Amino acid sequence: MSTGTAVSPSMSISKEFNPFEAMAERFELASDHLKLDQGLRDVLRTPDRELTVAIPIKMDNGTMRVFTGYRVQHNFSRGPCKGGIRFAPDVNLDEVRALAAWMTWKCAVVDLPFGGGKGGVICTPSELSQGELERITRRYTTGILDILGPDRDVPAPDVNTNEQTMAWLMDTYSMHVRRTTTAVVTGKPIALGGSKGRAEATGRGVMLIAREALKKMGLKPEKTSVVVQGSGNVGGIGAMLMQRQGHKIVSLSDMFGAIYNEKGLDVPEVLAYLKANRKLTGYSKAGAISAAEQLELPCDVLVPAAVENQITSANAERIKAKLIIEGANGPTTANADKILEKKGIMVVPDILANAGGVTVSYFEWVQDRAGFFWTEEEVNTRLERIMVDAFNAVEATAAQYKTSLRIGAYIVAVGRVAEVYKLRGNYA
Amino acid sequence: MQPTDVSRDPTLPGQPAFDEETPFATMMSLFDEAAERLHIEADLYAILRKPDREVNISIPTRLADGTLGVFDGWRVQHNMGLGPYAGPFRVSGDLRVDELRALAGWTTWKCALANIPFGGAAGGIRIDRELHSPAVIELAVRRYTSSLLDVIGPDRDVFIPDKSADEQFMAWMMDVVSMHERHTTNAVGLGKPTVLGGSRGHLDSIARGMRTVLGLAREHFKLGSDRGGLRAIVQGAGSVGGNLALGLVEDDCRVVGVSDFFGGLYNPNGLDVRKLHAHRQHHGSLQHAQGDFVRMSNEELLLQDCDVLAPCAIGNVITPRNADKLRTKLVIEGANGPVSTRADHILEGRGIPVIPAMLANSGGIIVNYFEWVQNRTGEQWPEGTVHMHQKRFLTEAWQSVVKSSAERKVRLHLAASMVAVERLANAHRLRGVYA
Repeated sequence: MSTGTAVSPSMSISKEFNPFEAMAERFELASDHLKLDQGLRDVLRTPDRELTVAIPIKMDNGTMRVFTGYRVQHNFSRGPCKGGIRFAPDVNLDEVRALAAWMTWKCAVVDLPFGGGKGGVICTPSELSQGELERITRRYTTGILDILGPDRDVPAPDVNTNEQTMAWLMDTYSMHVRRTTTAVVTGKPIALGGSKGRAEATGRGVMLIAREALKKMGLKPEKTSVVVQGSGNVGGIGAMLMQRQGHKIVSLSDMFGAIYNEKGLDVPEVLAYLKANRKLTGYSKAGAISAAEQLELPCDVLVPAAVENQITSANAERIKAKLIIEGANGPTTANADKILEKKGIMVVPDILANAGGVTVSYFEWVQDRAGFFWTEEEVNTRLERIMVDAFNAVEATAAQYKTSLRIGAYIVAVGRVAEVYKLRGNYA
Repeated sequence: MQPTDVSRDPTLPGQPAFDEETPFATMMSLFDEAAERLHIEADLYAILRKPDREVNISIPTRLADGTLGVFDGWRVQHNMGLGPYAGPFRVSGDLRVDELRALAGWTTWKCALANIPFGGAAGGIRIDRELHSPAVIELAVRRYTSSLLDVIGPDRDVFIPDKSADEQFMAWMMDVVSMHERHTTNAVGLGKPTVLGGSRGHLDSIARGMRTVLGLAREHFKLGSDRGGLRAIVQGAGSVGGNLALGLVEDDCRVVGVSDFFGGLYNPNGLDVRKLHAHRQHHGSLQHAQGDFVRMSNEELLLQDCDVLAPCAIGNVITPRNADKLRTKLVIEGANGPVSTRADHILEGRGIPVIPAMLANSGGIIVNYFEWVQNRTGEQWPEGTVHMHQKRFLTEAWQSVVKSSAERKVRLHLAASMVAVERLANAHRLRGVYA
């Protein structure tokens, strides 16, 4: 499951569109509320450890190439680090650092016993053969082996990495430690210790959070219309599960545009159409609209579940939804946040709303450690409990500090990490 | 420790020793057939066919008379694709490494079919329990365990008991590993006494599992029961056969035949199983049991009229010599390999389904696996939880075999092998070949 889709800082146009700047700003605000002293803030901001490794690989044509890989462990005071590994040409240390910190807060807000980590290899997967990718994965794993392990750091798939990549990583690690160690990585195929329910985990989390938020607002699912930006793992599955709860899904989108039917869409049928035709446009039982128009549709719930920076100071004023559930990472800019707050629109922030994915990754780690695997119902029941508890904690904190849910979520997350740090004390 | 190249090992039984197949040959022929039908790549096939590692050790042991005896010991680790190795430990005066290879392979397939994250292994010591005192046996087992320390452990290779080595052996092995590790490591030996972390429900786990599988099979094959329940013949009266016969009475079945080493008892109207079981508990055999039945040989008993035949004693009892004379509607294998491959084909032709041991008696290793899980988490499940989970695992395995059989139009035996081989091949494809 992709745990971060944010672009690298170098690609942003201005400060408003840099999700990491936004995160840093929110961290500061939460620290102010918590009255953390400067020293502790510095501890929580600074990555615990960063590792850069050279990855020499024999290419298929017989030449040697050296790739660069990173693993950043942002904070491991709450437990082993958790976070994805991405393979992309624009991977850089700054981005990996920021994404690692993001994982720390995300794990803390849903109260998983993990710190945040992130890794990446600078490469262009579309230009590499399967064999070259395997050798990169194995050599990268060997390079960072000393800081990996079920009790140290547990990677997961991210941009351009998948189940197969995780299987290679697990095999390489297992051969080095002389025993099969499935818990060293999550997002594995079910055949090698993966968890049931992982594919739909983030979408299910979005559905659960929407349900809880609407309950607080006194709205019934049958009486709410929902607009979903996106139609993949998060948006598509989220929409399908929300429809099952009784919501009316009026609009879905993909990278080419959006479809709209005010009477409601048959989500499984739309997804089947998308699978067969590779795009939504042309689906006969709904009208086509632009991506920009979609966000401004009249509806009760808006689920931006595609990419970052979708709700900005440019369109926030025209958003008509009463509730926004951030399925994607960083879809709302900090400036837009202020406008939405003034308009009284409730925003459930990404680090809470899309944490269903990392939660089921955690379940995979638990199951691998026990060597005993749960049924899908068991996974879903436990996911529900964690998401509901997290929502309630964030909601109560936001009310206590008289702030938005977003800042409430950061207060919960930063507060939990700070508390653990204080309890453990400063070692040596 | 260099792994042995098995293909060049002249002791590996490529040919059956006699006219009839050995369980090892049955295993290999089934696997070859399954791999061929699945179109498994030749190179991958080679990995799955060989044991990963074989360790051969010598075990110097101080005997009762003060002299030193040196015994042979082995541990064969068949395949680690899915997790740590697990498999039986056996003590026998005529133990041979090729028998262990077969056993290790069987265990791999059995675990893969049951969806247990273990690979198969088998090991043992060539020592005759009749010729040596329990103290000498204990010394040999402890020395054997300590010689294998580098390759065993809860995450590497775990032992399970065998007919020849009961829970006391598991306790000794667990003690040796724990003393070396400096902490109690009970997950290294499974099937332990409950007081040392053994799972509840492990004593009759195979029989209970067979009852679950038989229940599923009755439904699937629509084996209706006439008045008085389904008529079952159970060959064998030990922990598998004995417990099965006792349990079947509770499952709307009428046990019409039972047997032990001394022969069979038959009554088409049903036997008083509880009374016979009590007699055997008290006297050690059914030889002098009294009651309303006809006595006959084990061979004759297999040919009597019934709905379900459960051979739970030894291998190769149903062969081309008697397969066309069976008068049953279903065979469920309790022992390992009681139906030879050729007999299986004959029964298939006659429309008599054979539920393979790989599935039917896997309730045992499933509960062994639960013990490992409980030891790792430090829990002890109530007996009801053990039964519930065992039922779930067996039901899922049964469903996968039935599906495989229907889709591929093959008999259950082959269908089960294909499910197991496919799972393991898939795991190997995903992991790739290291370095």
